[in-house]
Amino acid sequence: MTDLVKESSTQILAREMALTEQSVERRRRIVGLEPDDLARIAGIREVVLAQVDHFASVFFDYLSGIEEGRVLTNNRALTERARELKRSHLIAMVGGDYGRAYAEQRLELAVLYGRVGLELRVFIAAFHRLLRSIGEAVMKSTPQAPLEAFASFMALKKIAFFDIGVIVDAVVFERERVIRQQQDAIRELSTPVLQVRARLLLLPIIGVIDTHRARLITDSLLKAIRANRAKVVVMDVTGVATIDSKVANHLMQTVTAAKLMGASVIVTGLSAEVAQSLVALGIDLTTLNTIGDLQGGMDEAERALGYRVVSMDPRRDGAPLSPG
Amino acid sequence: MSDSVVVPIERETDIVCARQKGRALAAAAGFLSTDQTLLATAISEVARNIVSYAGKGTVTLQTVQEGGRRGLSIVASDNGPGIENVELAMRDGYSTGKSLGLGLPGAKRLMDSFALESVVGVGTKVTMTKWLR
Ligand SMILES: Nc1ncnc2c1ncn2[C@@H]1O[C@H](COP(=O)(O)OP(=O)(O)OP(=O)(O)O)[C@@H](O)[C@H]1O
Ligand SMILES: [Mg+2]
Repeated sequence: MTDLVKESSTQILAREMALTEQSVERRRRIVGLEPDDLARIAGIREVVLAQVDHFASVFFDYLSGIEEGRVLTNNRALTERARELKRSHLIAMVGGDYGRAYAEQRLELAVLYGRVGLELRVFIAAFHRLLRSIGEAVMKSTPQAPLEAFASFMALKKIAFFDIGVIVDAVVFERERVIRQQQDAIRELSTPVLQVRARLLLLPIIGVIDTHRARLITDSLLKAIRANRAKVVVMDVTGVATIDSKVANHLMQTVTAAKLMGASVIVTGLSAEVAQSLVALGIDLTTLNTIGDLQGGMDEAERALGYRVVSMDPRRDGAPLSPG
Repeated sequence: MSDSVVVPIERETDIVCARQKGRALAAAAGFLSTDQTLLATAISEVARNIVSYAGKGTVTLQTVQEGGRRGLSIVASDNGPGIENVELAMRDGYSTGKSLGLGLPGAKRLMDSFALESVVGVGTKVTMTKWLR
């Protein structure tokens, strides 16, 4: 058996962000990195390597000096890890290799920032401080050739902006992940199947139906029919603004599948607008048992199950409750 | 024209986005709620076809004016595989995707004008307009 090589969380993130050799090449092109720049960066390599600790300190001192930076620096253990990562970042920045592995290494810090809630604008300001002190060191190293020094520093700045690009994307991606997860959760939550009474289920559909949700709805309904041995299902679409042919097809298939499982479906709350669109599309609704509003649908369902709805109002004793 | 929106279409959520933008533009142009829904449904059909058959493309929504009347124009375009037989694709019930085959002919019925252009290997473009009543 071969050894399982576990993916690290940054590797997973790199994969999710589609950080491929190709997209990293594109990133290098976006910041305008040329072979010329590589030579220039190599030229100031020693200047940077000589003061890696100092540059890292500039970064963290800036953060601990302002309120917004302390979310990170107050956390001893994470700051240690971040400092370590920042040091290897600085070494790699002048390393000359800016491929996929380089980009992937930037992700760990990005994830760390995200975890403690360090705002991007604060990180960017701290990074700017760090770059400024590198710039000063570079200028000091060749006082006789300031233009050369400036050009070399600008070459390194392309790498810095490449890094910022990766980090910003990673932080945004992580933030959107939360949104994506919430959306999934909302989707699950918004397809509840409610058992109203023995053998009677209510499926209220609210909001936007896409084909993914339509599938979820089918799924949970069929499971609930089996679990409750339901005979009648009221599917209420009052809250649905648009139904296109694909989603209509899904819903009709759901109705058919429910029938095969022994439950009949009553569709309620189809708005006049949606009904009109479905008719224009040419969808045959005649096979559907549709009833205007939810109350009417529930009454019909209970009649189908043999219940008789009786008013509690003595003046209307025995009379079936009429809708409205 | 200034009131134009381009919605990139690549996945299911983009369809919903195009639909919502379409509704908003239609409302701003003065379309009543029923017509907003008809427009949203037509947008949904052409956007969904992009996702299903071309992978990606765009839906462009624009309010237009012609001889004193106002309307909403929808252009769905993609560089996908194209449609071999356009006439067949416009027929009710014709589908290569095991679906109802009502999207294109249905969208045509939902709108006031409708044109389908497609070149195999180049792409597909649907242009449709609905006028304020
Ligand atoms: N953008 C497109 N690119 C390539 N082929 C397309 C495109 N749009 C439609 N088609 C072809 O035209 C056929 C008919 O499209 P139409 O939207 O009418 O029906 P459908 O998508 O198959 O089913 P429905 O829309 O009812 O779910 C499709 O099955 C497909 O073969
Ligand atoms: Mg279609």
